[in-house]
Amino acid sequence: MMDVGRHPNVELMSFSEVESVSGFVGNFHVTVRKKARYVDPSECTACGECEKVCPVAVPDEYQQGFSSRKAIYLPFPQAVPSSYVLDMENCLGNNPIACGKCADVCEKECINYDDQDELVNFEVGVIIAATGMDVYDPTEYDEYGYTRFDNVITSMEFERLICAGGPTGGHFIRPSDHESPKSIGFIQCVGSRSKDGRGNPYCSNICCMNTVKDTLLLCDHYPGVEAKVFYMDIRAFGKGFEDLYIRSKEEGVKYIRGIPGDVVEDSQTKNLVLNVENTTTGKIEKHELDLLVLSQGVIPRRDGAQIKQLLTLSSTSDGFVMESHPKLKPVDAPTKGVYIAGCVESPKDVKDSVTQASAAAARASILLNAGKTKIEAITSNVDIEKCNYCDVCSKVCPYNAILSADKKTNKPPTIIEAACAGCGACAAECPQDAISMRHFTDEQIMAQVDALLSVDPHKHLIVFACNWCSYAGGDMAGTSRLQYPTTCKLIRTMCSGRVDEKFVLQAFRLGAPMVLVSGCHFSDCHYINAVHWTQKRMDRLWNKLDRLGIRADRLQLEWISAAEGQKFAKVMRDMEEKLKQVTEEEIEYTMKKLEEEAKKEEEKKAKKAVKRAKVTQDQEVNA
Amino acid sequence: MAPRPVLFKCLMCGHEYDGMYDADNVTERTCPKCRSNSVRRLPAKKDK
Repeated sequence: MMDVGRHPNVELMSFSEVESVSGFVGNFHVTVRKKARYVDPSECTACGECEKVCPVAVPDEYQQGFSSRKAIYLPFPQAVPSSYVLDMENCLGNNPIACGKCADVCEKECINYDDQDELVNFEVGVIIAATGMDVYDPTEYDEYGYTRFDNVITSMEFERLICAGGPTGGHFIRPSDHESPKSIGFIQCVGSRSKDGRGNPYCSNICCMNTVKDTLLLCDHYPGVEAKVFYMDIRAFGKGFEDLYIRSKEEGVKYIRGIPGDVVEDSQTKNLVLNVENTTTGKIEKHELDLLVLSQGVIPRRDGAQIKQLLTLSSTSDGFVMESHPKLKPVDAPTKGVYIAGCVESPKDVKDSVTQASAAAARASILLNAGKTKIEAITSNVDIEKCNYCDVCSKVCPYNAILSADKKTNKPPTIIEAACAGCGACAAECPQDAISMRHFTDEQIMAQVDALLSVDPHKHLIVFACNWCSYAGGDMAGTSRLQYPTTCKLIRTMCSGRVDEKFVLQAFRLGAPMVLVSGCHFSDCHYINAVHWTQKRMDRLWNKLDRLGIRADRLQLEWISAAEGQKFAKVMRDMEEKLKQVTEEEIEYTMKKLEEEAKKEEEKKAKKAVKRAKVTQDQEVNA
Repeated sequence: MAPRPVLFKCLMCGHEYDGMYDADNVTERTCPKCRSNSVRRLPAKKDK
C-alpha cells in the first residue's frame, strides 16, 4: 500500500467515494467525492498528540469493537496516507461549546473544523472495479448464540484477539472473564453452503483455510490448547493447502465431521456445550468448550447495487459481479473498458485476488497503450425520420449507450457506438421501429421467418435462439449426439432481447403452429439485463394473443444455457408434442386474425404518417 | 412500484401458482412443477 501511495503514476484517493461515472471506453468521466477529513493529510505527521487529548471514546470498528478509539484517530496502523481523521459525528467540535483540544495541541496546525467535502472530476480511459466484499453477520443463526453468549465470537473477532496489534496486544483471552481459553471450537460454513434459506448457498472459498491457519496459530502460541473444528468438508484445494491441513491435524487439532445443532451456555462458568452429530461415527456427541469461533462466510458488498449501477455491471445469482466470459474474459466486465478484480467478482483468497488484479491491470494497460479499440460491428442505428422522441430506447439500454432524446429541443436520441454492445433490446422495444441493428435488421430477420415458413408452414416450429446461450445449447445438443425433432427451425439473434413482437406475430401470421423464444438464464445474460426486457415483452405478447383469441401456450419461452444441450433437446421434444395439439382450424383462424390486425396496424401507421406530414408542412408554412 | 402478489400460469404444463411480481426487478420464472420457463403472469381480474 505504501508503494502505491508513493508511486509517481498513482493518485491515491482514500476516504473518497465515486459519485458518478458517465461516458464510454477511453472516455469515462468520473466524479469523486473526497470526504472532509478535517485534518490536512499533507501536513499531518501522525504524531498522535491530538488523540491523547481528545476526550471522546467510541468503539473502534477496526478492532471489532473490542477496544475504543478517539473522535480523532488513525483508522488503522498502516493506513495510507498516514494521517489522522476527525470523526465529526462524534467530535464535540469547537462550536457552540468549545472543545477544540486537538487543534490546540497540533503543532502543525493541520486541523480545520470547517473542512468541506470536495467534488473532483477527472477523465479516465479504463476503470478497474476492486471494491471487495463484506462478511456475513451470523446473528441469523440464533442456535449458535452469537451476541447472546459472551464467548461466541466470529472469525474476524478471533483475528483481532490473536493479533499482536489487536486490542489485547496478542494475548488471546475469552471475552467473559479475560482468561486464556483452554478449549476452543470452530464451526465452519456459517452463512455458506446453506440450503435452509438462511445465509448463502455458495461456498465462501476462504473460510476452511482461514480456520486451518487459526488453529496453527493457536497451537503455535498456546501449546496444549485443545482445538476442535466442526465441518461439512474441508476444502484445501490450493497450492500447499493440503500440507497445512495435515500439519494442523498433526498438531493435535481435532476435525469433527458434523455441524452442531445448538449451543448451550453454562450460566456459572460461561462455558459452552455443543450438541453435534458426528457423521463419521454416526453418534450424537457433546463437547464442552471455553470459546467458540464462528467461521463466517463472505457476502457481496452491501452497497454493491450502487457500484453495479454506476458501472453498468451485471450481477450473478449470488450477488457478485459477473464477468464478461468465465473462460475467455474472466477479468472483463460486460461494459467495455471496465475490468474487475478480487472479491467483487466472487469470494477468493489473497493469492487469487492478486492474480486477478494483475490480469486486470494488464488488460487495462493493453487498451491504454493501444490508444484505440475495436468496437462491435453489430450496433444500433436511429432513423431520425421515424423517431418520435419517446425515449424508450435510452431507458431500455443496459449499457447507458443511448443519450436521451429531448422533444422540446428536437434532439433525437444519440447512440454511443463505442458503448453499444449490440443486444438489440432498443430495436425490439422501439414503438416506431426507428432503430435498426446492423447485421440483424428487422428486414433480415423477417426474411428468415418468411423463408422458413414458405413451404409447409404448419409443420415447422420457429425457434428464436440467442447467440451466446440457447444457440450454443443447440450446438451442444448436436455435438453430444442428442436427438431432437427436425421440425425446429432456428433463427439466431445476438440476444433474446432482440426478438421483436412483430417477428413472433409474423411467424404466426404465416402459419407457424408454435413459436419458441429462448435466451440466456438471467444470471448468464451477456448483455447485463437485456433478458429482463424479453420477459416483459413475452408477458405483453401472451396478453395480446389472448385478446385476439389465440392460445397463449402456442408461444413458449425457455432459458437455455450453452451447457444445457440436454435441456435444449428436451425442450424441442416438448415443443414437438405441443405442436401436435395445434389444429388446422386454429392455425387458419390465427392467420386470418393476424392478417386483419396487420391491416389495421398499417392503416393506423398511414394515418399517423399523413398527420405528421401535415404538421411538418404547417410548421414550414409558419416558418 | 412495490412487489405485488400475482397469479402465474405455466404454459407448458398448465400449473397455476401464486407468486410475487416486481416490475422494477424482474426475476427468472420457473414452473415449480415441470421446471419450464414459459411462465405467464396472468393479468389481474378487474373488480366489477
